[in-house]
Amino acid sequence: MTKPRTQRVGIVGVPPLSVIKALAAPHITIYDLDEPQGKIDIETASPFLPRVYCGILRTVIANSLIIRPDTIYIDTGPGKCDCAVHTATVLTDSMPETRIIRTRNQDTTDFGTPLCRTRMNLLEKMQAITASVQSPTPHQELRPCSPIAGFWGVPPRDFSLLSLFPDTTHIYGWARCMENKTPDNLKLELHYNPDIPTVFFAQSFCAKTALARHLATKHPHALYLDCDVTAGNSAKAKIQAFLELSGI
Amino acid sequence: MLLADFGTSYCKLLDTTAKSEPQLIASRDLDRNLQVDIGTGHNGKRHCLHYVNELTALARGGISLIREESFTLLDCGSRDIKYVAYSGEKIKDMGWNAECGASMGFTIELLEKYYDLDFTAIEVPASSFSVTCGVLGMSHIFDAVVTGNSEAEAVAKFVKGIAINAYNFAKRPEKIYLSGGLCDNPLFVGSFPCPVISMGRFVLLEGLKVSYEQLSIP
Repeated sequence: MTKPRTQRVGIVGVPPLSVIKALAAPHITIYDLDEPQGKIDIETASPFLPRVYCGILRTVIANSLIIRPDTIYIDTGPGKCDCAVHTATVLTDSMPETRIIRTRNQDTTDFGTPLCRTRMNLLEKMQAITASVQSPTPHQELRPCSPIAGFWGVPPRDFSLLSLFPDTTHIYGWARCMENKTPDNLKLELHYNPDIPTVFFAQSFCAKTALARHLATKHPHALYLDCDVTAGNSAKAKIQAFLELSGI
Repeated sequence: MLLADFGTSYCKLLDTTAKSEPQLIASRDLDRNLQVDIGTGHNGKRHCLHYVNELTALARGGISLIREESFTLLDCGSRDIKYVAYSGEKIKDMGWNAECGASMGFTIELLEKYYDLDFTAIEVPASSFSVTCGVLGMSHIFDAVVTGNSEAEAVAKFVKGIAINAYNFAKRPEKIYLSGGLCDNPLFVGSFPCPVISMGRFVLLEGLKVSYEQLSIP
């Protein structure tokens, strides 16, 4: 029996569960193209996408050009964004040797959100959530903690800003939808806890900045924050001051 | 106990054991080996034992000095602008612009010296330039002078543009409490489209005093 050829598969967004199940094979290596991979320079993307564009999707292009996956599954449905639709077109035209498969993840089976609600270093928690996207198996049960702060939003391009939060920070927004494996779940995305100070985060130039800012105005104790490629000193100072001044 | 706000152009220094006023020292004249107990500001981290975030120092100074439950306090420094907004004694919003709003205070001081202007004698102009940063705004001044405006008139429009930019950055509050060296510039203060209450240069030092009390540093 012939051993299947090793395949490199890139994913963008949260692929439907059926795709993740199909990719769960030892000869397939999955690359989460939304996240920085090694030391790939984001400027690699500049000939293909404007510099003033979502930092996550610029990262997708930069990663794709360097990693050169055999196949890329890119979610272009309501669970991702319009920018991903156009990025898929750019990928298709720029990488003819790579199979670009557009998906529309509208899965509705709730997998639960134990990571979002447990006590854990927030950076590691977010890493665990993004890693969980690649697994079709049910989540491990984790004891929920009582939250003292909230982080609402998407996994940031620069995870270092998460290191400023306490371990008992609960995660809300699209990152929670990710863990639940229902990226197109507006009801869940809109959910927040009004009783805890919450940072509403979105990537600069992302459509979700509107929602993040809107919810921050509704929340009684919130900070709206957007960052581009890296979290600068002023962004980090804002988080730190907000938490300090909220008594955390 | 030595407290200091290490700004880009000026360092504000307070010895809490002395009964004297805070000292103002040009940052370029600062002793490189100076070490204080609690510090804040752009140049602060290498000069202090305990560093307090600038926004935190500003907010704590504001709470200590302003007798209102809801307020917007804007600090206009040499290099950056930042603000905190409180509502019902809770932090409601904050911002720190060190990039696009950069170098406004520094540029105003440079212009004052270069054109030998007296800002107490210049009236607030009716119109302003659209200014997003000190450096980019300079070209408006040069263009205006070339087209017949006096230097004072051109700089006044620039200063008003900066004030309006800072006002927009602070989300257009009904009233602004203003902190920083630009409180001493009547043209700048008068250029805001809302009432301004000047708090002076030492609000962050006041915030450090509060931090000192909260930290109970020996």
